Order: sequence, then C-alpha cells, then structure tokens
Amino acid sequence: MTSLLRAELLKLRTTRTFAALVAAALVLSLLVVVLTGLLSDDWTEENTRGLFAADFTGLFIMLLGIIGMAGEWRHRTITGTFLAAPNRVRLLAAKGLSYAVAGVVLSLIVTVTIMVVGTVILASRGIDTLSLATLLDVLWRNLLVSALVGALGVGVGALLRNQVVAIIGVLLIGFVVDPALFALVPEVAAYSPTGGAPGGIIGIDAFGDTDTDTLLAPGVAVLVMFGWIAAFFAAAGARLRGGDLV
Amino acid sequence: MAPVEISGLSKRFSGVLAVNDLSFEIEAGRVTGFLGPNGAGKSTTLRALLGLIRPTAGTATFGGRRYEELERPSTQVGAVLEDASFHPGRTARNHLRVLAATGDHAFERVDAVLADVGLSDAADRRVGGYSMGMKQRLGIAAALLGDPEVLILDEPTNGLDPPGIAWMRGLVREQAERGRAVLISSHLLAEVAQSVDDVVVISHGELRARGTLEDVLGGDEGLVTVVRAQDDDRLARALQDAGHPVQRSGDGLLVPGVSPEEVGVVAGDAGVYLVGLAPQVRSLEQAFFALTGDKG
Ligand SMILES: Nc1ncnc2c1ncn2[C@@H]1O[C@H](COP(=O)(O)OP(=O)(O)O)[C@@H](O)[C@H]1O
Ligand SMILES: [Mg+2]
Repeated sequence: MTSLLRAELLKLRTTRTFAALVAAALVLSLLVVVLTGLLSDDWTEENTRGLFAADFTGLFIMLLGIIGMAGEWRHRTITGTFLAAPNRVRLLAAKGLSYAVAGVVLSLIVTVTIMVVGTVILASRGIDTLSLATLLDVLWRNLLVSALVGALGVGVGALLRNQVVAIIGVLLIGFVVDPALFALVPEVAAYSPTGGAPGGIIGIDAFGDTDTDTLLAPGVAVLVMFGWIAAFFAAAGARLRGGDLV
Repeated sequence: MAPVEISGLSKRFSGVLAVNDLSFEIEAGRVTGFLGPNGAGKSTTLRALLGLIRPTAGTATFGGRRYEELERPSTQVGAVLEDASFHPGRTARNHLRVLAATGDHAFERVDAVLADVGLSDAADRRVGGYSMGMKQRLGIAAALLGDPEVLILDEPTNGLDPPGIAWMRGLVREQAERGRAVLISSHLLAEVAQSVDDVVVISHGELRARGTLEDVLGGDEGLVTVVRAQDDDRLARALQDAGHPVQRSGDGLLVPGVSPEEVGVVAGDAGVYLVGLAPQVRSLEQAFFALTGDKG
C-alpha cells in the first residue's frame, strides 16, 4: 500500500495539470485575501475567520482527483495502471488516500500563506488579528475539507470515468445547484458534498454567512462527507471489480 | 507447472464469442508465437491472462496462479499490450519511475531499462511527442523493469521500422536465452517467423494448431531453407557432400527438408561466408493461411 501511495503521489506530481491547478489555487486564494483584506471595512472576528477560510485548495484538489482518476480512462493508461497494480480495489483506495494526502499538503501551503499575508495586511491597517489558537482552528478545518474532497474527487472520477462529464457535473452542482438548494431548501443543501457538508466543517454557508443555523455541526458534516466518499467508492469499486478493462 | 497455462478459456462479448475453449501452454527458455488473423482473439486471450478482462469460462495462469494472485507481478510478468498508452504530459523517465515505485524497484532500474531500449537520450522528453516506435520501446522498457520470468508482447512489431523489428527480434531471442518464457502475438507470420521456437495458431477464437514452428507450419517436406553465400557453388558442394539435396534458385540456393540451423552449420564447417539464411517464408505463410482459412 505504501508503494502504491508513493506511486500515485509521484504520478500526481509529474504532470503539468498539477502545477497549473496548484498555482491557480494559490493565486485565487491570495487574490481573495489581499483584496478583501485591503478593501473591506467590516471586521468582526467571524469575518476574519471567514477570510482565512478562503482556501480554494478544496475545489482544485477535487478537480485534480477527478482528472487523476478519470484521466486514466481518457489517456487509456488504466490498463497499464492495473497491470502494475492488479488489485483494483486496493489501487482505488491508494489513489483516494494519495489525493487526500495531497489535499492536506496543498491546503497547508495555501492556508499558511494566506494567513501570513492576511495577518500582515490587517495588522498594517490596525485591525485586530486572530489569536494563534483561532488560526489553528481554521487551519485544521481547511486541511480536513481538502483531504475529504480530494478523496471524493477520485471516487467521482472512478465511478463516472468520463473526465469532462465529471468535471462539468461537479462544477454545476457546486456553483449552481448548491446555492439554489441553499436558497430553497437549506436543510437539504447542508448535506451536499460539494457545498453544505464542507461548509459545515468550516462553518460557512454558500453565501459566506458564518452565523447560520442551517449548517451541520462540524462532526456531523465530517460523517456526512465520509458517507458520500464511501458511497462513491463502493459504487466505483463494484463497477471496477466485475468489469472488463478495455 | 508451465510459466503460462491457458485452459479451456472462453470469452464472450455481448454476442461475439471472441475466444472459444482455448487451451495451450508455453515453456520457459522458448519464444512462442501466438498467431492468427486480425480478430482471431489473440488480444482478448492475452488480456484475460493479464486479469484485465474476466473470462466467461476457463482459466489463464502463470505457474498455476492468476495474474491478480501474483506477488509483485512486475518481477514475474512483463507485458506490452497492443494499444499501450501513456500520459502524454509525462516524461518517459517519470512514467517508469511511477512503475518502479509501484513495483518497489530501485530508480536505477529506470536508467538501466531506458538504456536497454535505446531511449536514454529521449528520457526527459514528454511522451506525447514520441513516435509510435519510441512508445513501443517505452512499453518494452516498462515490461522489463522487474526483469520478469515471462514476457508477453501483443503485436510488438506494429509501428516499428525495419531496424526496430530487427532489434525486437534480438531482444526476444536474448530473453529466451536467459531462460525467460516469451509469448509474442502477431497477425503477420513473416514478422515473427525468424524469432519464434513454438507457435500457437488460432482463428475465430479457436485453436488451430500448436507445436514447434517446423512441425506446425513447415512439416518435414514443407520446410525449405533459402540460403545465399558469397560463393554459392562452394556452399552447394558442401551441402551435397553432407548429403543434403540442393536446388538452384534465382538468387541463391534452396535446401528442402533441412533447417536453417543445419545449413548454417554446414556452411560454417566448410568456411563459406553466408549472405542470407532463412526458412522459406512463403511456404510457412501458405501453411499458415491453410490453417487459419485465410486467403492471404
Ligand atoms: N471489448 C470488446 N467488446 C466487444 N467485442 C470485442 C471486444 N474486444 C474484442 N472484441 C471482438 O472479439 C474478437 C477478437 O478480438 P481480438 O482479441 O482483439 O482479436 P486479435 O487480437 O486476434 O486481432 C473480434 O471479433 C473483436 O471484434
Ligand atoms: Mg489484437
């Protein structure tokens, strides 16, 4: 399993897509933090927390997970992958785990960066900054979300196998369906793996509100995410185990 | 236990019976040609052997174990499939490093196999820019990474230029001489006839013949060696002295019923330099077409 993990992490690091999406996550997160930090004048502690939750790693690691798994079909490398690692379920697990690990590492880099930059900006404007304990609280939630959605991306990619369909589907759900659900039936939206559940872990809903009572408690939200991941992996595993790879 | 054993293997794809109750074995230290026209079921058989498709019936095993049951499969089986595909954005070296990580091989093995297949200079280029022949070589490098006991090549000469085909023959022979079992599929008998010891001929998913190349496709009377020497007259005399019948043909000598190896030995003993030496491919080809029911 450790060899498979090493191999998958190496695979992830050796394409240009990876560098591009990591750069995009960092730039986007920094942009939001710098602009908000410089321009906003409404600084409650909750708002400052929200600023440092602007870690876009989650979105990008999910896309990377989809690309990393569905891409094996797109580039027809899946047969070679299973020749090297014939236990299909184990490979799927290793891939999910490696994208969770990658999510944690990337989220750590992005969150620490935006925390340093944001704190410097706020301090220079004479605005109260967060205590170390609060920063760490935001940090672990960001890391956890990135780990969970990274693995979820692999599950989605393995089940759908079509990279384009999976990416468009996830973006549609995340940017159109989730906000619509939050507006109409927030109790249902809170369970969405692309919006409500990660929001519950971080404590922010689809509209950036932190004091909402529609979100799941963080612990429940984590369990809901595990449920989604388990469902996708079980379905993808069943589809993989019995089928022909051609 | 045979290094590769196919037993009663059948595979049906929605309606198409691609492989029908196929059984054969291959031996270590020999190159087995797996021959049949396009659509005969060769790739399907190899994919079933490698655990990529699930057989409808029967088994396909390595030393009695299914591919999925092998520990560190890369040390036991190396395979290059017909449509071997690589991530176009990854370099050859990184592609092999991923496989080395999966199979717990030292990264030095990557440099070694890159050199073996002649890709050292192109190793840090993205595979997307590779020619068909280079991809074929990269596939072989990947298969050799774990120095496996069994080598499986599906239509390996596809995409190779003549020097590439000659290189492939050398590689396959060398692997067999090192005691490896080699299974090499082709729909073109001529491209593998010079490098195989045994043949398994299939058509429409069914076994047509198996045995040594000479037994199956030559037969005693069918085997004819075509030879050209720097001095054809001297070679003809030496062959006649050795009791072999010799016929003149346009560009050399025909020696019916005698294998190229035997002719080579006679020439060597007589100190005659050979310019060309081969089984008469056309007669093999005709026998092959007769077996597979193809018109050619
Ligand atoms: N995935 C598949 N689905 C349906 N039919 C297939 C599939 N793969 C192969 N076949 C059919 O099975 C037969 C054998 O194909 P194949 O094993 O590729 O032959 P060969 O490699 O000898 O050319 C052909 O008729 C082919 O069309
Ligand atoms: Mg084929």
